[in-house]
Amino acid sequence: MTTRRVTSSSDLRRRRGSRSAEPGCPAGLGVGRVFALAACLAFAASAAAQQAAGPARPARTERQARPAERRSELIHGINGSWERYPARFSGLGSQPVDGPPPPEKIPDPPLKPEYLDKWRAHRAKVKKLTDQGLPPANNYSACLPDGMPAMMQAMFPMEVLETPGQVTVIEEAFNQVRRIYLGEKPIKPEDAEPRFEGHSVGRWDGDTLVVETVGVKNYVRFRDVPHSADMRVVERIRLVSRNFMRDDVTVTDPEYLTRPWRWTWMYKRWPGYKIQEYVCEDNRYDTAPGKGNQRLRIGD
Amino acid sequence: MIGSKRARGALIAVSASLGLLSAAPPALAHHSFASYAIKSQIKLSGTVTRFEWANPHVYIHLDATGRYGGIKHWLIECANPGILNRVGWKWNMIHQGDKIEVIVAPLRSGRPGALLKAIRLADGRTFSNGGPAGRATISFDD
Repeated sequence: MTTRRVTSSSDLRRRRGSRSAEPGCPAGLGVGRVFALAACLAFAASAAAQQAAGPARPARTERQARPAERRSELIHGINGSWERYPARFSGLGSQPVDGPPPPEKIPDPPLKPEYLDKWRAHRAKVKKLTDQGLPPANNYSACLPDGMPAMMQAMFPMEVLETPGQVTVIEEAFNQVRRIYLGEKPIKPEDAEPRFEGHSVGRWDGDTLVVETVGVKNYVRFRDVPHSADMRVVERIRLVSRNFMRDDVTVTDPEYLTRPWRWTWMYKRWPGYKIQEYVCEDNRYDTAPGKGNQRLRIGD
Repeated sequence: MIGSKRARGALIAVSASLGLLSAAPPALAHHSFASYAIKSQIKLSGTVTRFEWANPHVYIHLDATGRYGGIKHWLIECANPGILNRVGWKWNMIHQGDKIEVIVAPLRSGRPGALLKAIRLADGRTFSNGGPAGRATISFDD
């Protein structure tokens, strides 16, 4: 196996016989230049890895031949670390700041009447037990990740990476990774293997990343709201200014919801923040979800 | 002994307040804090017998100086490493054998566990347990 080490992006450029920037990384980009540059470097690294691995796959070659497409993918400026906005508690993000108006409170889900009554009864029971100091065990207390759409609430900071053909969201909470494949056809719900993060495809509509997600596991529920295999989560993600981003979420589910359930999450850029590791390795609340109460294990 | 009278009083208050705490405490990433008597705080001092720096929570095992509500050995729950790093902690700032003081909210059940509100190290530095766990409502120096 032949391997070639690449030590820097300038090394890469020399190898290609050019001193100019990567194709698709014009030096004169204005807004988002730094982020476009970062994305280009990420692309360069991926190209280098590919070079090391051997002949390029045909699909990749085709993509490399379309620099205009790459440029359009990489100049949206959403790369970097983000924290939920507005800040809720110290220690979850950086310090509170003045920013754009915060999003409205998330409304109750527009469940069909037969499900709405059950959902309300369940929430009332959880509240009652919690008030008694006996909060029921749930996915979180069992160290299971949020999944979609809850992971986008960014309870801890998150990182967004724009690379050619893909936007990746990395949540510090539970080390969650979500890959949004750009330009691919949406997966049919019946073909989607159920997963925590589901399956996401996206496209840029001007300055807005439109993402559709299907295939979320049945027991991965935001606010305990049930859903069918036909649930779709559509997100419109865009910068509202250099340092603030919003995600307008629309959930549809013909089996459970009477109409789309909509809300917005917002994020503040956190320059330089490095996402921390979160391996749920030492759980002292390891009761299975739905089985008994959250109870601290003492004595070992 | 730091806060012992206050501690006994607080534990009585804990018993008295069972069922009266109606405000739902903030949910954190991992679990609810509702099992703790969040409004009844006590001070403990003693020696660290073990320090667990890991997710989903950091834990301090503490041999208290004296007994509080009949409890000598405590398991003290802290936030997670991410939150604690963001409010100034370091993974290696506490060791077995360290003398520390803490302000905590004990478990409502009376079991020997507590939620940290604030900590004072032997060198005098104090740290919070991050926003979701709530503030200390008593002082180390009262």
